[in-house]
Amino acid sequence: MAHLTRRSVLRGSAALGAAQALGFPHVAKAAATTATMWFSQGFVQDEDVALRKAVADYEKASGNKIELSVIPFAPERQKIISAITSGVVPDIVDSNPGEILQLYGWQDKWVDVSDVVESQKGQFSETALQAAQAYNSVIKKREFYGVPLRAAVVPCHIWRSLVEKAGLKIEDIPKTWDAYFDFFKKVQDNLRKQGERKVYGLGFQVTALGVDPYNLFMAFLVAYGGQDIVTKDGKLHLDDPKVKQAATKAVAYIGGAYKDGYVPPSAINWNDADDNNAFHAKLMVMDVDGTLSTEVAVKEKHPEWYYKEIVTHGVPGYPNDNAGKPVPSIVGYTNGLIPKGAKNVAVAKEFLKYFIQPKVIGEFVELGLGRWLPVMPSLAKSPFWQNPKDPHLKGYVQQGLLGPTIPDYYVFNPAMAEVRNQQVWSVAMIDVAKEGMKPEAAVEKALKRMQEMFAKYPIG
Amino acid sequence: MNGVSVAEVDRSSVRWRALSRSLRGGLKGAEYTWSLAFVVPYLAVFVTFVAYPVVYGLWMGSEPSLYRELFRDPIYERTVVNTVLYLALGVNVKMFLALLLSGFFMRPGRWTKVMLLIFVLPWAVPQISTFISIHWMLNGEWGFLNNALYKLFHIEGPSWLNDRWTALGAVIVSHIWKWTPFWTLILLAGRMAIPLEIRDTARVDGATGVRGFVHITFPLLANLYLICTLLSTIFLLGDFNAVYFVSGGGPANSTHVLATLGIRDAFDIAQPRLGVAAVMSALPLVIPLVIVLMRKLRTTEVQL
Repeated sequence: MAHLTRRSVLRGSAALGAAQALGFPHVAKAAATTATMWFSQGFVQDEDVALRKAVADYEKASGNKIELSVIPFAPERQKIISAITSGVVPDIVDSNPGEILQLYGWQDKWVDVSDVVESQKGQFSETALQAAQAYNSVIKKREFYGVPLRAAVVPCHIWRSLVEKAGLKIEDIPKTWDAYFDFFKKVQDNLRKQGERKVYGLGFQVTALGVDPYNLFMAFLVAYGGQDIVTKDGKLHLDDPKVKQAATKAVAYIGGAYKDGYVPPSAINWNDADDNNAFHAKLMVMDVDGTLSTEVAVKEKHPEWYYKEIVTHGVPGYPNDNAGKPVPSIVGYTNGLIPKGAKNVAVAKEFLKYFIQPKVIGEFVELGLGRWLPVMPSLAKSPFWQNPKDPHLKGYVQQGLLGPTIPDYYVFNPAMAEVRNQQVWSVAMIDVAKEGMKPEAAVEKALKRMQEMFAKYPIG
Repeated sequence: MNGVSVAEVDRSSVRWRALSRSLRGGLKGAEYTWSLAFVVPYLAVFVTFVAYPVVYGLWMGSEPSLYRELFRDPIYERTVVNTVLYLALGVNVKMFLALLLSGFFMRPGRWTKVMLLIFVLPWAVPQISTFISIHWMLNGEWGFLNNALYKLFHIEGPSWLNDRWTALGAVIVSHIWKWTPFWTLILLAGRMAIPLEIRDTARVDGATGVRGFVHITFPLLANLYLICTLLSTIFLLGDFNAVYFVSGGGPANSTHVLATLGIRDAFDIAQPRLGVAAVMSALPLVIPLVIVLMRKLRTTEVQL
């Protein structure tokens, strides 16, 4: 055995260090054609398969390598925030959560991807283009920091069997807002008379967890005429009497429905997928929930549910406002983002340019069973979305892509992301539903909190 | 002359040599180099995994404006109250039960050992899945508990997780259920370490049953009990799982504790610094606890 001396140890250490230093050019060379990408895992496996296929096709076409990590929704969100905070970032991430584009865009944390968006600009819907932008408070400008990949709206999901059991028909459902939701109260009343003790009419997420309660409230706010709560210039309009009146009516309707026993009591503590589970358990007749996850999740296991029993109401059929005018649907987008500090911006941009080609991105969305919507109106014409045998897809794509749409309000001002995540409106709904607060008082409390949040994000 | 006298230079070099000698601890040449070679890896691990995260955390939560924002958050005050209740009830009820149960498991007999094996199961199974199960069991409409109540007694159970106090109660009970076996084992080991002679002598003197416990067992276990209580308090202050998976901090953010509020602020609201500040705001409680714990460990090193 060799005799170990101090000099031999030092010599060995020096040699090891030198070898490592000389090894670096090889790693650097490899990095020149490799980009790392994080993407959130789908609710159904087909979504992940679709993503992996798109990545594999790109790798084959370009010779570059994409190191893809498909990560469950919540951990990915934490990973992205940790990465941006620490500065050690991947080359591409999806906007999980959606508002991360605007929140970190405000802080100048994303690479400008105008050139990527430009390559397909004419294809994207107007709403998608708006939602791909963020206000950068450092340069005091709005820029494209996101590349639109897919979209989602909030349709209504209804059990045909429960409606019929109550002695009513799907065709009987009124088309105006309040009458539409009141219909399901009647369904519940009829079912209770038949001895159904645990079926509720409305699946309203009167909870302070997840994004569903905010989506629900905003749908009601817009339907009641409060659309201008935040305008495109990022300004908040709390003094607008229409906004205040709409907010009060929304809080009163949702909170009142809970208080009157038309919403499952546990809804007050539901988290993201709890309403889906409750709906599948036929705990309620209808659910207002984003994406087609409710339907897609049962397609394979219960095809009869998918094709016959569950009805999806998008536009047309998604209720109009109380005056009979169509209500624009709020669309949430998943954007591709490149964090500042990414090592391989060139490959990241090249991949995103490849990914948003209509054929590629269209196939990506369709292979994912249509849980997500395409972001290009031309793609809505495909046989997949217009399939007459599918009872859900046509209405869904109509609602989220072809009908009247608006982006979520955090697109105009990131303060709205804070309003959503701090559950300001959820608390207002719960104040009415459970604490016995008057809707006017609950709304005043929420508006005051909103004002505090908007003060942190001055625009213009 | 540049203003520094020869005497000053000499004094400075003497001081430097003295410092260098003291740092070397009397080691010379190769001995000193080898000692450095052995110490450096430990030092590197300590700096990387202990000092750096702590300093980074302190730096992240160092801005006073963060605390102003935190205190303005309407749920912060309620969160502090929840944390205090969670600690006070969670730790003390659990430790008291563990103390009693450790006495029970000292009893001789095969069945006691079998029961001990069953008793430690809640601690042995992964905590996240058990807390999620509890969450589902307590669901008001289709949960196991209310269905059992209805099937057996025709009672409509409450929506356990819909009310702040029943939800917080569920969290505390879940924590106690999960961790009592662990602390019971620790106290059982402590009881078993009490020399047989002491117990036999006490028995001869008539100190049996409650008297034996009050005058012999508890005084000998007191230090261990206190240290376990302090440790459990520190652990529980950072506990996230029970609240997150049983009540989710709901309803309406009314059952958050500082650990879950920190996670909410850091990741749900995407403000990591605010999240760190939320957790840091527990430092005025943690630091005295650690100091008391350290002092206790030092003074009780030769005791049980």
